[in-house]
Amino acid sequence: MSYRLQQPVGKPDFIVAAEDPILITGATGFIGLRVVEQLLSLGFRNLRCLARPWSNATKLDVFSNSKGDRGRIQVIRGNLLSREDCATAAKDVKVIYHLAAARGEKSVPDAFMNSVVTTRNLMEACILAGCLRRFVNVSSFAVYSNAQRTRGRILDESCPTEKNPHTLADAYCFAKVKQDEIVEKYGEKYGVPYVIVRPGYVYGPGNLGISGRVGIGSFGIFLHLGGSNPIPFSYVDNCANAIVLAGLRKGVERQIFNIIDDDLPSSRKFLRLYKKNVRWFPSLYVPPALSYGLCYLWERYSVWSHGQLAPVFNRKKWHNYWKKMRYSNQKLKDRLGWTPSVPTSEGLRRYFEACRTEE
Amino acid sequence: MKTLKIAIVGCGKIADSHAAQIGRIRECEIVAGCDTEPLMAQQFCERFGVKRSFSDLAQMFAEVAPDVVHVTTPPKSHFAVAKSCLESGCHVYVEKPFALNEEEARTMITMARERGLNITAGHDDQFGHAARRMRALVQSGFLGDGPVHMESYYGYALGHTGYAGALLGDPRHWVRRLPGKLLHNIISHGIARIAEFLTTESPRIIAWGFTSPMLRRMGESEIIDELRVLIREGESATAYFTFSSQMRPLLHQFRLYGSKNGLVLDQDQETLIKLRGDHLKSYLEKFVPPVSFAMQYLGNLKTNLYTFLRNDFHMKSGMKYLIESFYRSIREGTPPPIPYREILLTARIMDAIFEQIARREPGISIDVSTINMTAEDSAGVDRAIVANSRVTS
Repeated sequence: MSYRLQQPVGKPDFIVAAEDPILITGATGFIGLRVVEQLLSLGFRNLRCLARPWSNATKLDVFSNSKGDRGRIQVIRGNLLSREDCATAAKDVKVIYHLAAARGEKSVPDAFMNSVVTTRNLMEACILAGCLRRFVNVSSFAVYSNAQRTRGRILDESCPTEKNPHTLADAYCFAKVKQDEIVEKYGEKYGVPYVIVRPGYVYGPGNLGISGRVGIGSFGIFLHLGGSNPIPFSYVDNCANAIVLAGLRKGVERQIFNIIDDDLPSSRKFLRLYKKNVRWFPSLYVPPALSYGLCYLWERYSVWSHGQLAPVFNRKKWHNYWKKMRYSNQKLKDRLGWTPSVPTSEGLRRYFEACRTEE
Repeated sequence: MKTLKIAIVGCGKIADSHAAQIGRIRECEIVAGCDTEPLMAQQFCERFGVKRSFSDLAQMFAEVAPDVVHVTTPPKSHFAVAKSCLESGCHVYVEKPFALNEEEARTMITMARERGLNITAGHDDQFGHAARRMRALVQSGFLGDGPVHMESYYGYALGHTGYAGALLGDPRHWVRRLPGKLLHNIISHGIARIAEFLTTESPRIIAWGFTSPMLRRMGESEIIDELRVLIREGESATAYFTFSSQMRPLLHQFRLYGSKNGLVLDQDQETLIKLRGDHLKSYLEKFVPPVSFAMQYLGNLKTNLYTFLRNDFHMKSGMKYLIESFYRSIREGTPPPIPYREILLTARIMDAIFEQIARREPGISIDVSTINMTAEDSAGVDRAIVANSRVTS
């Protein structure tokens, strides 16, 4: 790994010291592993990783052993749906990186339970523990509503989030909007010091799929929907770097940070590079007007037929995923002092290499 | 016609299907969502435009007085919740499995009868389009005198993700605490199909369950994911039930053979194929049946397309039909769409299966006293048992 944070541990603008307990939920996940790794490399010596009983913590064990960090990582097996497990995990911790969430769930209740109920349990455990200095809630770009913003405008932290997330028929989006709401509610009502981070599309070895913002392959041929849209990529190490800083920097309570890299490629450029570097496959470009029209028709049919076809394609989804927007990471740089340590060109190179290996 | 007031208790995944199908039925309205976890009840009500959410059952009864309650909680609480509903004067639709055992099922049905209320089980797979066509054909005498033999297949994909992943990795998972564990939560659809056509109350059951090699490689020894059941009633009909997580394709099929003809129902494809009982002469048997099958499949395609275009081909159309029939029975004061006998028989067969599987002991391969099989035949079969018992009512 070629990252280094700009601020070593012990400097005055970090809110915790090296010995302070830090909890990472979802530590065995794609981003969580990198967060743990970066915290270790910063010199933090008291990391508590909460992993579900059924998740594979081998990488975490191997990683900690190989770094000579035995004893610095405590792996707790537990389920955030259990208040007892939450209390055990949150005891005495000063910072929580809450990465655990329901990814890939198609059922809204399941996604909600594994994102919102779990977050509520964890926040209540923090209130009882009474010593938390920062709760870093890892959210997503999926929560934004940009239906009212014209094409080509900047999507940043000031943009509104979706007010009626159930209308998107997207379990992940619904759960993430509600998760953010409950974090903000507990922040206001009980004074839990939180920061919300919203990564764009996090890519890298470990997540080798093609972002839905580029297109979809559900209909036998890959439909390229992104066209000239910039894709809000965040290379996994850069993303982890930003998340770590969000939990450490002083003076950013209740702030929201979007996490995206510099030099974002367009969807067309990404697809061209992917085909060149990984494998060629046929794709069909669908212009924005046509994709919007198709989403509209699908949505109307779904309503008319009482869900004979689920409204998985709809206008709101089109706005969120396939409308051309620009993105800014200025706040991340200004307030957290973050810079992407892995340039996009290098990130894509590593990603394509991992894809080739996988192939 | 009076609008029925509906409440949903248990706001998890299956509650979504109920709400979606109830939304397609006239003269009914979901007036409340209830879950012991208030956040779950709230999210359900928000998404389906339900006015009241509750986390306390008694409070819900007092404040909204529903006519019908759909119990969509985990199976362990079906009995207690349904009992409360019946005591409060509500008709009850209980998701499958209806109860943890026959005793609970019998108590629930008795309570409903005593109070003049209707109760039904969520065996909605039996009410899909093709399943209804099959039932009509059987009733018209297509099979002959009745079923001679039945085969019910129920496939289930187990993986590392989602529900299965959580179940396999979590020793505290609620499914593990069910008497039949994974099987208990899933097989009632496939068993109920058989129970519908059984005529006696005490069929003979031989069940054989084991943990698949795939699960054993994952370190799992408690979950049974392969089940074979032989059912025999008196001197007449027999049935096989197959539950498998490993068999491909993952079948959801029901095969029904009578003295004249047979039927093959494919739930996933919504197809119903007639099997002729008579043989054609010589080479005609080689050429005519393939054409006949091709024509039948084309006919099924046409029916499915027509049903889709008529906007009645939803993924849970069987559930809509069952709920609608249940509500009609409430309005008209007629018996519910699934006979109580069938619900009890399903529970009884499941009890027998789980009882036999529970008697397995590590290392025991085969009980040769109950089946004519040599020790060599049973070699290599690990953690399995064949037992034999007569189910009594």
